[in-house]
Amino acid sequence: MNKPGLSHILTFRNTAIALVVTWTLLFIVVPTLMIAVVSVLQRDARTFVTPAFSLESYMALADPVYLKIFGKSFAYAAMTTLLCLLVGFPFAFFLARTRKRWQKPLLLLVIIPFWTSSLIRTYALIIILKANGIINTWLRAAGIIKLPLEILYTDIAVYIGLVYTLLPFMILPLYASLEKLDFRLVEAAFDLGARPVQVFTRIILPLSLPGIMAGAIMVFLPAMGLFYVPDLLGGAKSMLLGNLIKNQFLVAGNWPFGSAVSVFLTMLMLGLMAIYFKTMKRINTSVMEEA
Amino acid sequence: MKKLIVFLMLLFPAAAMADGNTVYLYNWTEYMPDQVLAQFTKETGIKVTYATYESNESMYAKVKLLDAGGYDLVFPSTYFVHKMKNEGLLSPIDKAKLKNLDHLDDTLLNKPYDPDNTYSVPYLWGSTAIGVNTTYIKDAITSWQDLWKPEFKNRVLLTDDLREVFGLGLKMKGYSVNDTDPAHIKEAYELLVQLLPNVRLFASDSPKQPFLNHEVFLGMIWNGEVFMAAEEMPEITYIYPEEGAIFWVDSMVIPKNAKNKDNAHAFIDFVLQPAIAKLICEEIGYASPNKTAVSMLAPELRDNPTVYPARADVEKGEFQTDVGDALLVLEEYWEKLKTR
Repeated sequence: MNKPGLSHILTFRNTAIALVVTWTLLFIVVPTLMIAVVSVLQRDARTFVTPAFSLESYMALADPVYLKIFGKSFAYAAMTTLLCLLVGFPFAFFLARTRKRWQKPLLLLVIIPFWTSSLIRTYALIIILKANGIINTWLRAAGIIKLPLEILYTDIAVYIGLVYTLLPFMILPLYASLEKLDFRLVEAAFDLGARPVQVFTRIILPLSLPGIMAGAIMVFLPAMGLFYVPDLLGGAKSMLLGNLIKNQFLVAGNWPFGSAVSVFLTMLMLGLMAIYFKTMKRINTSVMEEA
Repeated sequence: MKKLIVFLMLLFPAAAMADGNTVYLYNWTEYMPDQVLAQFTKETGIKVTYATYESNESMYAKVKLLDAGGYDLVFPSTYFVHKMKNEGLLSPIDKAKLKNLDHLDDTLLNKPYDPDNTYSVPYLWGSTAIGVNTTYIKDAITSWQDLWKPEFKNRVLLTDDLREVFGLGLKMKGYSVNDTDPAHIKEAYELLVQLLPNVRLFASDSPKQPFLNHEVFLGMIWNGEVFMAAEEMPEITYIYPEEGAIFWVDSMVIPKNAKNKDNAHAFIDFVLQPAIAKLICEEIGYASPNKTAVSMLAPELRDNPTVYPARADVEKGEFQTDVGDALLVLEEYWEKLKTR
């Protein structure tokens, strides 16, 4: 490679890095800092915030109403993670065990829905679930039910929506760790007289733990924030953290409190990430030691 | 370097554009036919830069952050006209510049939210009342009270708007929809809690859909939504309850520090022309405050009570005004209502 070409690449690379850094600073770091600053100021009806220090917003977080909102958001996210794991694990397992030439096309099928906006896919679910929708029309035509099933605007619809949207985030890391699993270990365990349950709990589960952890984190964190799914499919009957933040900013005009809730949510997610990395480190070392 | 400049110009097109003879409009989405804008530019030579919003609140935040400048003409609802006026964000309308003001219907002028219409000129108006699917509900619905009937368990829709939902609660308790007394708001909340078992969903994003999907049989809805729903399913009707509906007007206002106030006045006067007002009403489907335009409408539209209620129904109804800091109390009870 000649010199001008190299310097050209370097300039391009530097420009690219500079752009990314500027972008991140401008649109992620600065806004986050602004939110953190606003969260310790006071509300003002006319100017949104007054530059006076106050921890009032954080104290207000202890109100039982907000604990309930937090609890509900947490419950939705936890249940979604569990359901994704129950559905995603067998899927990823069989995907990892099918013939190599089928794996790529099957993985592609998991990813294709991502090409459409998740908001549009949520509207599509309404068409499937509604009283005169695909499921109910079919069940009624088949004579299985007389009155349409009430699915839309219930918790069931919310879970269908959340699991459908987030399932690929569970399948992909699970597949990555199950694909690497050395199946000779399973065969050896059977040869030594282990029962299927034992093989699963003593061999497959521990070895796929990193994938389960990664999948759980990747489903749980977005599930805490995906408030439009419960809004559209659940009928907006429960307020979740996302709605709370939006309402505090736009409707109530209480920017400091909205910011405090945002900071709290960010901290919580950071905490979960920290736990994840710590556990991963421990799992990795214990696997290494055993090997 | 040249590339960088081009790139920056793409990033900030506004800076690269010369500020000619322009008017900056900020309006609700799908609330103004493109044809009207094109015709305005053709007739006056004033270019239109058009931006849209989806809620009064986001419009208000933006106008406020731009220090009441940036836009020349905005279209807030009644109580936001009141709020923005109180906060000194609006510039008075110079009525001498409006030749077509006489076409407006008196019943919609000089309301408590803006006495004498010093700051606002009505654009379109409508109401929040009861939508009913008569396929499922044979008995006549006449009152807001009917929403509480036990036989409608899980079949009622409410708008996802705390001012409207609490307005309903306050009205049923005999107070104004604009009441700010925390004790009264608490009473309204307790009444709304009793309505919850009937509420299938809260929706402000196309509330006609749950009706068309047979998920709800009756509920609180806007007249324009029922008008559109009835075109698909004529069984869906609109009822003005005996306690009175909630009415709203979206008005044209000029922010205080607007740069092109003359052009904004020219646009208001253009929209007030009966032919233009008629066109807007036909395209957008909400009622026009322009009585000359209304008299020119086809009878099917003009005599449709969903779009144009009887005078008695309008007089029974109430217009929303700004409730100031009581909004915080409302938001608190709204959160409680939605965490039960």
